[in-house]
Amino acid sequence: MNWLDLLALGPHVFLVFGATSLLLLGAWCSKTRVILLSGIFVSLLSALLSGIAPPVDGDIAGLFSAGGYARFFTIFWFLTAAITLMISVRFSIELNLNAGEYVALVLFAALGMALLSSAIHLLGLFLGLEALTLAFYVLIASNRRSELSAEAGLKYLLLGAVATGFLAFGIGLVYTASGSLHLPEAFQGLQAEDGHLRAWGLLGWGLLLTAVGFKISLVPFHLWTADVYQGTPSPVAAFLSTGAKGAVVAGFIGLVISSGSAWKDLSDLLWVVAALTMIFGALGGLPQNNLKRLLAYSSIAHMGTVLVGILCQTPTGFSATIFYIVVYVIANLGTFGVIASFSRAGEEPEDLDQWRGLGYRNPLRCTVLTLLLLSLAGLPATAGFIGKFAIFHAAIQSGLVSLAIIGIISSLIAFAYYLKVVIVMFSPESQADRPSPGEPLEFGVLAACTTAVILLGLFPGPLFDLISKILP
Amino acid sequence: MASIMFYLLSLILLTATLLCIFQRNPVHAVLYLVLGFFSLAIMFYLLGAPLVAAWEVIVYAGAIMVLFLFIIMMLGLAPQDRPEGPGWQRWLPFVILMAAVLACTLVIIALDPAATAQGEPYSLGPQDFGEALFGKYALAVQVVSFQLLFAAVGAYNLGRIQRGKGKP
Repeated sequence: MNWLDLLALGPHVFLVFGATSLLLLGAWCSKTRVILLSGIFVSLLSALLSGIAPPVDGDIAGLFSAGGYARFFTIFWFLTAAITLMISVRFSIELNLNAGEYVALVLFAALGMALLSSAIHLLGLFLGLEALTLAFYVLIASNRRSELSAEAGLKYLLLGAVATGFLAFGIGLVYTASGSLHLPEAFQGLQAEDGHLRAWGLLGWGLLLTAVGFKISLVPFHLWTADVYQGTPSPVAAFLSTGAKGAVVAGFIGLVISSGSAWKDLSDLLWVVAALTMIFGALGGLPQNNLKRLLAYSSIAHMGTVLVGILCQTPTGFSATIFYIVVYVIANLGTFGVIASFSRAGEEPEDLDQWRGLGYRNPLRCTVLTLLLLSLAGLPATAGFIGKFAIFHAAIQSGLVSLAIIGIISSLIAFAYYLKVVIVMFSPESQADRPSPGEPLEFGVLAACTTAVILLGLFPGPLFDLISKILP
Repeated sequence: MASIMFYLLSLILLTATLLCIFQRNPVHAVLYLVLGFFSLAIMFYLLGAPLVAAWEVIVYAGAIMVLFLFIIMMLGLAPQDRPEGPGWQRWLPFVILMAAVLACTLVIIALDPAATAQGEPYSLGPQDFGEALFGKYALAVQVVSFQLLFAAVGAYNLGRIQRGKGKP
């Protein structure tokens, strides 16, 4: 640690100071809205700081990168945290949450995401992942009036602990085999021909992938997803499905890029995992009648597609994956934002019956939801389509033709459940209970997400250019 | 000699951990876990990390397990009814394993009081350890301490009884 490291960490330090100050402010100030608005301000300012900070050469204390890739995701996750706080304002006022703690935990989770995305050392990876998971254990259970929320928190805690065990043991074995925790060396060490410890290193790599699989819910490890999403309050679910998964994917891309040919040993296994994840995500969502469970299966399917992009192991594949993640995050934030804007005192319209006819009474928000769902499904002219197209194009280019075909077929199957929601919203029967009219901040978020999805769908070029520049 | 002891201790560690998992009585489970920590500590010592060995005993076996026992007693999780059969049968595995751990410790003290078997290049003294921890990995220590802070905040946030703030 020296002054240069500290300078490069400036935005992170600012964010943590903001989080702890708001934690203290929460002890004296009982105005939930004030605390949440200052939380939004802190995260936006940190994002701005990491945008305008002068570039730093080298890395931060040997643990984290300070390059363009790290900075891109740092800004992105800080903005995601700001949006999460924007859609949590009404939720935390109506539920009388302890705003100081809530804001501090959201900001700390964002810090964990930023650190995880910029890890160039297995220790940094572990620390970032644990920071964000730890915050989510509490955030998921934050709706204390709901038993489902507590259940979801407990499930996430138990599976998170198991995943942490896998991760720590995997890192230990990788270190055993290669003698290094620093990223390019740690995995290149696995390839040494004379290494009699290579088997242990590969086992470690596999355990590490298992932990990643738990976090982004790849198929044998996906069982928690639907239950946890169902119990989690929508604003937190928005953050969980976007930031927590996206940051793990970003960190994982860093791992894969540096792994070189050590990757080849496990790519066949991951091929199967990706195919299963996409198929299961598409088929599992079909019978669901709960919107949040449906979105859980949608996120499983998306993570399968992301894995296809990573499996390409080419710069095109990686940039397609990053583009896909950005688009997925924006669309999912908006989708959960719509659910949050309809919620009243923690009661969210989850059951599809509650959405029946809502499209006629709240045409604006339901149209936004329709658009975002179609982007998640990958309808042409939305950003989701460009993302899917880029990933499958890269897959075909690098010879993964059958995987691309499986992906395209399962995307088509998944269309059915996205369309089911749209059809229900605009079907004539009307329900008696009135959802919340929403508030300006939420509408702002929805407008921003919609604009981004449309703009990225029509003009994806600039973002692709940016991504190809920052790719490490 | 050291490698024989290493495998013996690994065996004890595995047995103790398995027994810990399969105990019905949580107090017994904690005791087996403590036993596992002791054998792990000696393994660390054999691997040339005496400081980590000491911490394993002081922090894990000492502080954390006492905390576990305290919580088990406070919540009244220990079963009240006494199981069938003579008491020594239940304690026999624990006594045997503990005796083995103790024997290993005594053998180390008797045969190698100056700890030469550790081998110079692998030995890590407290000073090297401290320098690595607070020099090279200072940032990691900072991040971990913030994690602990937020874990405490979160646990308190979930666990406290809210007065006058709606239903808890």
